[in-house]
Amino acid sequence: MTQGKKYGVLVLAILAAGGLRLPFERSLTNDLQAANLLPRKLEMRTGEKIGQTFSAVSLGGLRTLIATLLNLRAFSFFSEQKWVDVEDTFDVIVDLAPRTRYYWDTGSWHQAYNAASYYLYESEIPPLRRKLAWRESILKGQAFLERGIRNNPDDPKLYEGLGVLLSDSNKIAAFSSPNEAYEKSYEAFMAAVETGNARGYAKRAALYSLARVPGREMDALALANEIRKENPRLPPTVLGLLYTLNYHEDPAQDVLTLADSIFPNRKIAYEILGNQWMRTRDYFPVDGIARVMPLLEKELGVSEEDSVLKVKLLSPMNPDEGR
Amino acid sequence: MNPVSTIKAIPGHVSRTSVIARHAFTQLVRMKVFYFLAFFAVILIASNFFNLPQHEGPESAGVNILRSIKSWSLGAMTLFSVVLSIVATALLLPKDVEDRTLYTILAKPVPRLDYLAGKLLGVLLLVFVSLALMDILMVGILQLRTNMVLTDQMAMAEARGWPAADIALLKAEILAQGPTASLQGAVFSVFLRSSIIASMALLISTFSSSTLFTTIISFLIYFIGHFQADARAAYLSGEAGTSDGILARGVTLLVSLVLPDFQLFNVIDSVIEGQVMPLFIVGKLTLIGLFYAIFYILASWFIFAEKEF
Repeated sequence: MTQGKKYGVLVLAILAAGGLRLPFERSLTNDLQAANLLPRKLEMRTGEKIGQTFSAVSLGGLRTLIATLLNLRAFSFFSEQKWVDVEDTFDVIVDLAPRTRYYWDTGSWHQAYNAASYYLYESEIPPLRRKLAWRESILKGQAFLERGIRNNPDDPKLYEGLGVLLSDSNKIAAFSSPNEAYEKSYEAFMAAVETGNARGYAKRAALYSLARVPGREMDALALANEIRKENPRLPPTVLGLLYTLNYHEDPAQDVLTLADSIFPNRKIAYEILGNQWMRTRDYFPVDGIARVMPLLEKELGVSEEDSVLKVKLLSPMNPDEGR
Repeated sequence: MNPVSTIKAIPGHVSRTSVIARHAFTQLVRMKVFYFLAFFAVILIASNFFNLPQHEGPESAGVNILRSIKSWSLGAMTLFSVVLSIVATALLLPKDVEDRTLYTILAKPVPRLDYLAGKLLGVLLLVFVSLALMDILMVGILQLRTNMVLTDQMAMAEARGWPAADIALLKAEILAQGPTASLQGAVFSVFLRSSIIASMALLISTFSSSTLFTTIISFLIYFIGHFQADARAAYLSGEAGTSDGILARGVTLLVSLVLPDFQLFNVIDSVIEGQVMPLFIVGKLTLIGLFYAIFYILASWFIFAEKEF
């Protein structure tokens, strides 16, 4: 056989072998996709941002390595408080490693907490711009976490992170509607619970958020009762909410009887409900506290001047306060 | 040749091939390729120091370092195995011609298929041993570090009075970032990909004019092979209504048929991120790896069988 004929046969053999393996490779690709083992396509801007060398390297299964390197770069930007660079870098990182919770969590944390605080306290920025930048950073952090959740719908911690952010008393003023933020926070915590891998506090946190949504008191009470059934040893906030939510359901009931049915004793009832009354920045419901407090104070010998109800309360959170 | 004589001939093939494989392995070891292991150890130790405590909350402290160790180790394994497979295979035939070893071997009653298979197995043995040593180092360091993270995190959780169920979740999460069976599956997929690259480089070297040509073409095919899946998807979903469409389909079909799909073996990123690699996928990857290796070696033999030196 001549050299030319040989190469001809080889080409035909390669094509025939290609035809043989094509269906198998297609089915294997589907299996790998089903098992979430295939890397997703990089976005165009990611390729542009990481440069040709990194793009080529990322093809060969080294995406997480590049993400690790970029994470180090993001740390430098964070140390230098270059927030736009931090944001850009994390955008690239999560495109390279979309299933690593840490990057979503950290990228969001930088925007919603670190950058937001930086802008709030940056004296070189005019006050109005400062507030705007603070708000934008928090919303960016929220959007980043929501993107993380879309990429990792089974990860309870990302839901928990979103729930915490949306119910954070220091951030609530950034959201156009606090009620909506609390509602979303509740949904996020419940989504975490539904994954089956959430930590124990997630359901309680969902209650704390739901209890703060006007009009959802009945649902919140049902959730509180469910939590009570599951765990008889409850933290003070749950006990306080059980009182206020029960009172909201039936304002005509005897408040001392209600308090006795929830708290271990009246002293504890006084302490917990007093704290809840003063936590104005947390927007917790206070139904029935003003009615029961004078009765409890009278019984515990608290003078009228020292009454919790006379303490000057802080106004709900606004970013200009506390500085 | 009747079946009985074919069966009788197999031990002869196996023994000849293994002698050539051992020789190729020794030849490559003498090129001091294992020095890379020292470099790998440095990378592995360095990856332990890329911890950014200010960058993570107390509940995930240390976990990221485990991911960092895996990223650096598997990244180094991938690079090393790809470079070694291509360069070592590209060197083998020209070196044997240059040393005139090839003439001595082929003058003996050694079938050329045994010679090629032996050479390829020598390279694969070297890649396998190197990967195994790197794997042992990685698993050792990862296990140590996982234990350290686990001890710290358990102490943190107990100090904070976490419920037992939450502590169990935390423990499972940390252990999932340590050495797992899926991690071993990922290392094996790195080896399978190297086997395909090496056997493909062997085929190229049978008709190439130089080591440099073989190396460059192999690297090119390696990179383009990562787009084979895209070409296949475009071909299978494309429409051939227009003349452009027909041309595009033709090109995508050609790429799909000619190039290996290296993207299939890119599971390491997902495994590092915590995905589980089922055993049946390892099995299927092994099958496709074997298919490529056997096909390329037979194709190499077809070209090499009557080649004049």
